[in-house]
Amino acid sequence: MSERVLTPHNKLRVREARLAYALLLPAVVCVTGFMIYPLVYVFLMSVFKTNRLGWLVKFVGLTNFGTVLSDIEFWRVTGRSLLWTTLAVFMKTFLGMVIAMLLNVQFRGQKMARMLFIAPWASSVPISVLLWSWVYNPQFGLLNHTLKITGIWPNPPVWLGYPISGFFAAIWVDIWIGVPFMALVFLSGMQSIPEELYESADMDGVNNFQKFKFITLPSILRIVQISTLLSALWTFNDFNAIYILTGGGPVNSTDILITSIYKNAFVYARFDQAAVMAIITFIILTSLSVVYARYYFKEDV
Amino acid sequence: MMKPRTSKWRNRGKPFVIILTVLLLLIMLFPFFVMITTMLRTSKEVYISPPRWIPHTITFNNFFLVWSQYLLAGYFKSSAIIAIGSSALNMLLSIPAAYAIARLRFKGQQVALYLFLVVQMFSPVVVVISLFKTFSALNLLDSYIGLIIINAVFSMAFSIWLLSGYFKSIPVQIEEAAFIDGATRWQTVTRIILPISSPGLVTTTIYTFIAAWNEFLFALSFIQKQERMPLTLGLYRFVGRWSSQWELLTTSAFLAIIPVLVLFYIIQQRLIGGLTGGAVKG
Repeated sequence: MSERVLTPHNKLRVREARLAYALLLPAVVCVTGFMIYPLVYVFLMSVFKTNRLGWLVKFVGLTNFGTVLSDIEFWRVTGRSLLWTTLAVFMKTFLGMVIAMLLNVQFRGQKMARMLFIAPWASSVPISVLLWSWVYNPQFGLLNHTLKITGIWPNPPVWLGYPISGFFAAIWVDIWIGVPFMALVFLSGMQSIPEELYESADMDGVNNFQKFKFITLPSILRIVQISTLLSALWTFNDFNAIYILTGGGPVNSTDILITSIYKNAFVYARFDQAAVMAIITFIILTSLSVVYARYYFKEDV
Repeated sequence: MMKPRTSKWRNRGKPFVIILTVLLLLIMLFPFFVMITTMLRTSKEVYISPPRWIPHTITFNNFFLVWSQYLLAGYFKSSAIIAIGSSALNMLLSIPAAYAIARLRFKGQQVALYLFLVVQMFSPVVVVISLFKTFSALNLLDSYIGLIIINAVFSMAFSIWLLSGYFKSIPVQIEEAAFIDGATRWQTVTRIILPISSPGLVTTTIYTFIAAWNEFLFALSFIQKQERMPLTLGLYRFVGRWSSQWELLTTSAFLAIIPVLVLFYIIQQRLIGGLTGGAVKG
């Protein structure tokens, strides 16, 4: 340190760095205090026995992990989380693509349609989910009534009353929330494809499907990858749809990892087990976000 | 900006496109239709089986009833305080940090960059189970301050990313010229950088506001007192307790959604650009 000669230039450098640290300090303190520290504490909870208030009682090593991993319920919940994410992301991508293609055609009211398609994303998620619980109401809700009257489904289920229909009802709400984002992103991508590509394809007598496969899809591939990853992160993390709609019920049969962590901690006061599941969730999400970060920083294609 | 094209689909495909669009719109907007048709009925007409799509008598009475029947005004107040507080705190934390990342050279710049990217993906549920203890130790349970801090912190990473992008896109030469003219660093920030990046500031402020307005999990975990509940939690509890008053709930939902809907339409295009990292131009 003392050997370094402080030229005026170096002094400036040191001052600049000091200023930078000062400016970053509040943000870093907040992130450390309210994100990193709680995360470290969750790690601790997962290797300690905890009491009903979440206090660390005794170091038990990996015992909690053993308890959770040998519990069949944990695997059911994890399986449901994976099914939930896969199915929802697939449907969001598919429906998003269809809507983007429709909106990419010029027709009267096209701008209006675009505005309207955004609504589920723009609306408040917890409140939309509450609305859906009314829509799904078996006796007075308009969904079952509409399905019956139009003959689409003469005998619709009591959606939120049973494990399977409840789960699919919740997945649909999650899809419904996530589709607009995908549609808009895909649409922006499609609109940046040069028109000439399609014109020359027209001259070669290429059909619509081939145009989609050989022009549209390759051109927006990177956008599809990024938004699908982002959507997977959000979908895996979705707490509201299940918790507000079914509360994980009947009898925990619709719980996914995220709602199960919450219930284990705050309903059943099993903080150590909740912590183990939280750590596992954290690992899954972090690996997903590392992939997301890679794509995010990738310059071109 | 928007150049829809037709050549891909010959005109004969158009009716098909329009029919499919309308069909999908009907499906996607169905819950909003249900909300509107429910909030315009008397409670008598809400609970008939089979239900009706359109009520026989339309009433706006629910818009008066909601204010007296439960603490809707209180929920609105809480949501507003939390959302405004979070956006303000978020700005206070992210503008300096974003400036440092965009304009200053220091050791650990990469570390800071990655720190903010990683925490952007943090799952609230993962940390909430221990955050509860931190909050109770700091006496932040049942307080606006607690929710303001946590909402600001969880929006901060995204804000820093978006803002530092805006700051970086401003040519350094403008500031250098100002320095030569004797401007201080503070002046270059307040007179050059912030005004030029005002679209970014608006986007991040609105984004934080919306995120805090819509937040549910932290409120559910940290708020017990009725008078501190934001709209999301208040309405959720309302359903649990008075599940028989959907005409009032849909009316409240309508009122609660309007502010965020309007704000969202202002920023949606820039939001998409920020989330996909320039893969999509805003």
